[in-house]
Amino acid sequence: MFGGVFGGGSQKPVGQMAPGGMGGGMGQAQMDPNAQLAAAEQEMEMVTDMFARLGDLCYRKCLIQRYSDEELTKAESVCTDRCVAKYFQVNREVSEKLAKLSQTNQ
Amino acid sequence: MYNNYGASYQEQRLQQMMEQKQLKDFMRMYSNLVSRCFDDCVSDFTSNTLGDKELTCVTRCTLKNMKLNERIGQRFAEENAKLMEDQAKMGR
Repeated sequence: MFGGVFGGGSQKPVGQMAPGGMGGGMGQAQMDPNAQLAAAEQEMEMVTDMFARLGDLCYRKCLIQRYSDEELTKAESVCTDRCVAKYFQVNREVSEKLAKLSQTNQ
Repeated sequence: MYNNYGASYQEQRLQQMMEQKQLKDFMRMYSNLVSRCFDDCVSDFTSNTLGDKELTCVTRCTLKNMKLNERIGQRFAEENAKLMEDQAKMGR
């Protein structure tokens, strides 16, 4: 499923949203199953939240010809694809910058 | 081992959690759709029922937004898969 957004096993900060994150994938074999469940729940929560926000943003930016009919226009479809790609890119950029900042501040 | 409840109990709880999340997700999608379509289609309050134009707009709004959500979902899954791949590479 959507494990990727918040660290699917790697401890590198790149691509993880929350700095100092939740360590979603590490050492699961030794983890308390309750903690494991809670971590999975939190991860899902964050991903669905991110998805909802993304949906709202791209709707606002891309649904330009609102309801002249029920199909997405070509322009709207292209805009949507790019909107999602760019949203992920911005995520990556911000988390990289944040990681760098927090490194230099230590 | 921590396994004092047994694996099936944990599985059950996971299942329960997933179902709750799905329901919550659906409710969120639904209420979002209602506010979008209300916001985009209804602005005339000289009558207390939806006019023909507003009804057509609401129908289109619903269908179009469902298509939009679907498309965003596809792209989201793709981007997420890419991200996971990158992370797996870097973990090594």
